[in-house]
Amino acid sequence: MVTARTLAPFAALIAALLWWLAARALPMPAWPWDAQAMSLDQIRMAYGLMPRGVIALLAGAMLGLSGAILQVVLRNPVADPTTLGISAGAQLALVLATILAPALLEAGRWPVAMAGAGAAAALVMAIGARRGFQPVSMVIAGMLVGLTASAVAGALTLAQGQYLLSLVIWNGGALVQQDWSGVAALALVLGPGALAAAALARPLRLLSLGGEGARGLGLNVALMRLAAIGVAVMLAAAVSAELGLIGFVGLAAPALARSLGVRGVAGLLAWSPVLGALFLSVCDGLVLAAAGLGAEMFPTGALTGLLGGPLLIWLLPRLRGATPPGTEAGDGPAPRLARPGRLLAAMAAGLVAAGLALLWIGRVPGGWAVLERADLAAFLPMRLPRLLAAAGSGAALALAGAILQRLTANPLASPEVLGVSGGASLGYAAVVFGLAAPGAGALALGTMAGGAAALAVLLAVTARRDMPAERVLLAGVAVSALASAVLSAMMAVGDARAWAILSWLSGSAARVTMPGALALAGLAVAVWLAALALRRWLALLPLGEGVARGLGLGLAQARLSLILLAGLATGAATMVTGPLSFVGLMAPHLACRAGLARPADHLTGSALIGAGLMLAADFGARMAGFPYELPLGLFASLIGAPWLIWLMTRQR
Amino acid sequence: MTLFHLSGLAVEIPGHRLLDDITLDLPAGRATALIGHNGSGKSTLLRALARQIPARGTAIFEGRPLGAWPARALARRMAYLPQTTPPAEGMTVRELVALGRYPWHGALGRFGPADHAAIARALSECGVEPFADRLVDTLSGGERQRVWLAMMVAQEAGTLLLDEPISALDIAHQVEVLALVAAMCHSQGRSAVIVLHDVNMAARFCDHVVALRAGRLVWQGAPRALMRPETLQRIYGLPMQVLTRADGHPIATPA
Repeated sequence: MVTARTLAPFAALIAALLWWLAARALPMPAWPWDAQAMSLDQIRMAYGLMPRGVIALLAGAMLGLSGAILQVVLRNPVADPTTLGISAGAQLALVLATILAPALLEAGRWPVAMAGAGAAAALVMAIGARRGFQPVSMVIAGMLVGLTASAVAGALTLAQGQYLLSLVIWNGGALVQQDWSGVAALALVLGPGALAAAALARPLRLLSLGGEGARGLGLNVALMRLAAIGVAVMLAAAVSAELGLIGFVGLAAPALARSLGVRGVAGLLAWSPVLGALFLSVCDGLVLAAAGLGAEMFPTGALTGLLGGPLLIWLLPRLRGATPPGTEAGDGPAPRLARPGRLLAAMAAGLVAAGLALLWIGRVPGGWAVLERADLAAFLPMRLPRLLAAAGSGAALALAGAILQRLTANPLASPEVLGVSGGASLGYAAVVFGLAAPGAGALALGTMAGGAAALAVLLAVTARRDMPAERVLLAGVAVSALASAVLSAMMAVGDARAWAILSWLSGSAARVTMPGALALAGLAVAVWLAALALRRWLALLPLGEGVARGLGLGLAQARLSLILLAGLATGAATMVTGPLSFVGLMAPHLACRAGLARPADHLTGSALIGAGLMLAADFGARMAGFPYELPLGLFASLIGAPWLIWLMTRQR
Repeated sequence: MTLFHLSGLAVEIPGHRLLDDITLDLPAGRATALIGHNGSGKSTLLRALARQIPARGTAIFEGRPLGAWPARALARRMAYLPQTTPPAEGMTVRELVALGRYPWHGALGRFGPADHAAIARALSECGVEPFADRLVDTLSGGERQRVWLAMMVAQEAGTLLLDEPISALDIAHQVEVLALVAAMCHSQGRSAVIVLHDVNMAARFCDHVVALRAGRLVWQGAPRALMRPETLQRIYGLPMQVLTRADGHPIATPA
């Protein structure tokens, strides 16, 4: 059995060796340093490589400590600044400050990052508090907050063009240093952070009994949670401010510590920073070694993301205790209509009317215009496909969301966290980078292949015996996280190809051709019919495994078919809307609140609402910034995210 | 007639053996109680019988190895109620009971007159007709438990497997639910296997008692034979006293 004590020196040796491989060509400057008298190589050594080596250790230690604190305080082995959306919140705050109020950054990036990270953490905690800090819900909420923040940050980057190039590189988490100021800044935060963690060790051990147990022993649970999360957020925000998104170190370090036999809260808090520092150093050493081969700016954060995604998947089966059915149901008794048929008919009629109205009405320079009969023929080939595609993709996403929410009995399930969209974006990015001048066909093929690969990973996870349905969600989250880490690495190149990906990620219905739109609409209808045919499964599955199996439902087969169906719908819709829209999360909730309780009504209502939402989003995206067009998926998220956050944090 | 024939049945999780070498015949047409202390493996045994968890060894149900039953064919012969019933969000009583027909019509089959008749019978047998159109989640605990029993009745299975069906109920509803289960067995010729905490309830409502201790079978027999201080001490590891009520029923209590 390898223990932490034997592994740590070995890892330190590898990290040092990798660093030395990069550094051996450069001469060591004589002490005391005088930049004026040094040669260029000596400056590169003293103000480039040496601080880089130190900052990798510091940042790794901070992220490891932050992850360990979060995991203990939330009793959640997959908590870390990445999975809880804290890093993405810091990133969004920095992008916003760069664009809107650059003066704020003069005092240092850290306070701004801290504000963003704190806001994201507060949001995720507020959502989690209503769900008893259930590990799975926390991670899904964190992922949703994180994905939204990244999407908004990405769109802002896109809108501001070249000016934010440095931010894109920062997003990827490059460890390149020009002086010792970064090291000093991080050391200033790590010191107090480590002291605070040491002081918190004993209360945290009590807290590891769970909130009620700790309260019974006289601990002020709320205050202690706040303090511990505050320390963790401070540590993570400092790293975000200095280096950018370095994903999964906070996840990997405590997981490594645990698998190396470290037991107890104090041991975890002590060993996680050590292992985190070594983990990041080895990663950075590998990047440095590759840099010799020409990958100069490859960000280290992308590598940790590449390693972290599979790690998360590997950790999933070790997540103890499935959520008992019902703990997730937090919305109180939903209303139920006696005659849902009338509402559905009205919704369908409204959808058709809205579609027709949107065909006729448009904005022209200087005002609004209703088309003449003669003009309609000219505009129809342009407007009809995009309306059809928007409605079709909305319906498909809504159906996927409704299916997933019923399959997993988790109201937070949505196509966004299924990972299919993430895989599809990776496929798209791979084609953009792999081919010299990719055509539309190659791009579509790449997107589909990426989505299918993500789906295959998901199915492989699901097909295992006794895999609770909610872990499917976590596997999806892992795939999404992996995809976004790799994407940000690709974008760090910062050339025209990166902009192509960024604009695709935001989603648009403008490029859709008529056959494409018809295919999408047809697929939405096919998915709807298939889901209706399987409505009895969708009625049984929310009742949990015991009941479903007791009634003779083949769980593995049912899960595989439904995930395949949802994945197909998501993959197709992603081609139009981009990977993020929240329609798949919103529409089933709206249908539920409207009183559509029976599975068949719920599915139909979700599809109609989803189509309507996407039509509205498309209209808004075209009109809000006329004559320029805003990204469709982004516009839909901007409508959806605030509503969702309100819904999830609302008191019962 | 044997319902279950078990031989060398064992259930393991990594590093721990929950059930060890259970060899046992359970009678058909009777209400059998599974009793034992916490962690004795009684719920595990029931879940293994219901094929909810995999087990090693031999388990034969109605003359056919348990593993050889197709899922829906098994559900037509055997109904299972988990210990905690999940919330049935937005579902009416009638809809929940109708789910019990799934083993008969499957995902795509027609919902025919036989299904409607079975649901009507189930609703009246369990006395839940008066609130057939109410939402399940608005019912009280005892009513809700009866609704779930009605779902099992609609399943038209000859065997009912119940995991602590009365653990969350007050004493009046405990008696009501167990009396209903006993009546379902005795008047309709069904078999039942019921995990119970309360030895007095087991003795009063069941025809046969199986006792487990630390994952092993320690005792089985008739309720009358169970209610002896030395038998109870073997099962629970605690000195027990047996009193006799005015009507002659024995009552066990810690000595």
